[in-house]
Amino acid sequence: MTFGKIVCINLCSIGFEILFILGTVRILLGRIPRTDVRYQAVHMMQGLFWCLLLSVTGAVCYRIGFWELPLNVGQILWEYFVLVGWVLFVRLLYGVPYRTCWTTVFLGAILVSYGELLANTLVQGRVFDLAVWKEQREYLFWLLVLVPSCRFLCLFFVRRAGRSYRQWVEREDQKKSVLLLVGLYPVLSRMLLRLVSLCEGKSGENPLISLSFLLVIHLILVHVGREEQQKERILQQQVGLQQQSAYIEKMEQIQAEVRRFRHDLNNMMAGVYLQAKEGDLTAVQAFIRDVTEDFDRQTGSQIRLLNQLANVHMTEVKGLLLEKLARMQREKISCELEVLRPLDCTRIRSVDLCRCLGILLDNAVEEVCGRKDGYIHVMISSQEYCTTFRVKNTLYGMVDLGRLGMEGYSTKGTGRGIGLSSYRHVLEKYDFVLSATAVEDGYFIQELKIQEM
Amino acid sequence: MLSVFICEDEEPIRVAEREYLEKQILMEGYDMEIVCCTGRPEEVLQKLSGGGGRGIYFLDVELKGASMDGFELGKEIRKRDARGFLVYVTAFRDLAFETFRYHLEALDYICKEDRTQMFAGIAGCLRAVTERMCEERGHEQQYFTVKVLDVVRHIPVDEILYFETSGRTHRIELHAERERLDFLGSMQELEQQLGRDFLRVHRSCLVNVHQITEVDLKKKELLLKNKERCVFSRKMKNRILEQVSVQAVK
Repeated sequence: MTFGKIVCINLCSIGFEILFILGTVRILLGRIPRTDVRYQAVHMMQGLFWCLLLSVTGAVCYRIGFWELPLNVGQILWEYFVLVGWVLFVRLLYGVPYRTCWTTVFLGAILVSYGELLANTLVQGRVFDLAVWKEQREYLFWLLVLVPSCRFLCLFFVRRAGRSYRQWVEREDQKKSVLLLVGLYPVLSRMLLRLVSLCEGKSGENPLISLSFLLVIHLILVHVGREEQQKERILQQQVGLQQQSAYIEKMEQIQAEVRRFRHDLNNMMAGVYLQAKEGDLTAVQAFIRDVTEDFDRQTGSQIRLLNQLANVHMTEVKGLLLEKLARMQREKISCELEVLRPLDCTRIRSVDLCRCLGILLDNAVEEVCGRKDGYIHVMISSQEYCTTFRVKNTLYGMVDLGRLGMEGYSTKGTGRGIGLSSYRHVLEKYDFVLSATAVEDGYFIQELKIQEM
Repeated sequence: MLSVFICEDEEPIRVAEREYLEKQILMEGYDMEIVCCTGRPEEVLQKLSGGGGRGIYFLDVELKGASMDGFELGKEIRKRDARGFLVYVTAFRDLAFETFRYHLEALDYICKEDRTQMFAGIAGCLRAVTERMCEERGHEQQYFTVKVLDVVRHIPVDEILYFETSGRTHRIELHAERERLDFLGSMQELEQQLGRDFLRVHRSCLVNVHQITEVDLKKKELLLKNKERCVFSRKMKNRILEQVSVQAVK
């Protein structure tokens, strides 16, 4: 075969492989985060370039006999070269951590080779002699029709794996072993293949190996995913319970206050009744004003807080707010909450949202804690395209905005300052979240804005 | 001349507001005129669509039977009159005023439960508006105006230290003396928009030259007024030295 021909054939098969891997990645990681046309066009060009590069180098390797190196070393090295390229490409597209790219691409590679092995079994593992024209045609048919269709068949089978995969990806622990296992796949599979062929005494590839590999990984994923789901459910239940008990506590407080108020009111009524009888209108007016104000101060503020809280429909956020509000009450900090429009959901994960909000609220509480006139104002505003969280508190000291958020810097002495830096760390992975900090009229303001679709 | 708008669904309160406003304008000699007094928000917007200058808007929050509430009306007004004054008149003490101020830059809110309180509030607002107008005429400070998703922020240009891009996204961090905020934009456009006072010292950093106090040539760092440091690229060295006064160079 001529060099040009090899490049062309390579181009076709690698083109299919690109589509396939992109498909796998799409299933496993979900939609590409950025939909900007220009941006995608740039990556498309990069992908095409990569494709071209691979075909040419592949052809060169074929010519110089790189594939025929002993112990499949050439093939393994080539596969790693290709896969590392893929990892970089996926990283570019998705911006997720390298580990995730790594596992995703290697899982894709396993699927790829599984499809190939499946196609191989269909032609009963025969080896094509490319020098013969007829065999060449059959080879092309195998490469461009059988292999891709087998691969897409595989893809069809794993189309629902995305959710549990993403859940698994978000776990920090237990990952290294799987990472290694998956990463060693090209070496392991070839070793196994060799063993099998040595035992059976005939050449050819065995889909069983890939199949067993896939099975193992599938089992791990399913197991871990299920465990994760269960944990999540338990956590949610706990949060729900906590919330309910906090809510009941609040209600009981209000009830107690109403009872006290009623008791006082009875006494006062007796007094005002006399005044009304005597026709002292100003005294009666003053009485009514006092009573309304009293009520507003004692019970009104609590009810108002609960009214606002009722607009927060995200359970986790509500739980967090209840907890923090309770803390503020214990510390005797006056606090206001504004939730004008119902908060139903946001684009960032609720775990991350709670973490960030928790940090902002803790910062505010710590600043005003122990002061007499401390005041904290929390605003949650969900508008059509944007949700804003804003925490405002009285500021007593100076804040060096330039150093705020750096690890180790804190206005509250040494050994602190992990809060805002981990806040930044959490938000780094979201492109559509904007944060802001400001000092304004003696208040410190922290803001988190999330762009909604 | 400022146009005054009233949108209030309760007839007696609307009438009282109007009468009091007219009286105040006459007594204090304010350069204002009531152009619209209605219970329907559409009427306000219709009046506004004809153009015209800045206005003062006294709006009820809960507009019964209307297609939108005071908040939505405020948003619509802001689209048509970005610099107008919004005052909310409400019966609720638990009005989320911070939200109104944040999104609509509302000037104030007035409780209508008590008439004398309401009148005092209105008079106070008119005074605040005239004061604000005088102040604006007094000094022309340059502002950098930026849209952060759904709100518009104005930051005095003198107070800006530098802009910085974070990573590969379009997110730009603005560092100013009293605040730090993220917005979406492009460095190139910013550079053009801000002109000579800002220097792109590095691919990811656009610095206000008036904020530079020291140039550390060895470490290739700039020291800013608030003690923050930012690096510059080698090829920008000469441009920086040209623009920053010689004494500051270390």
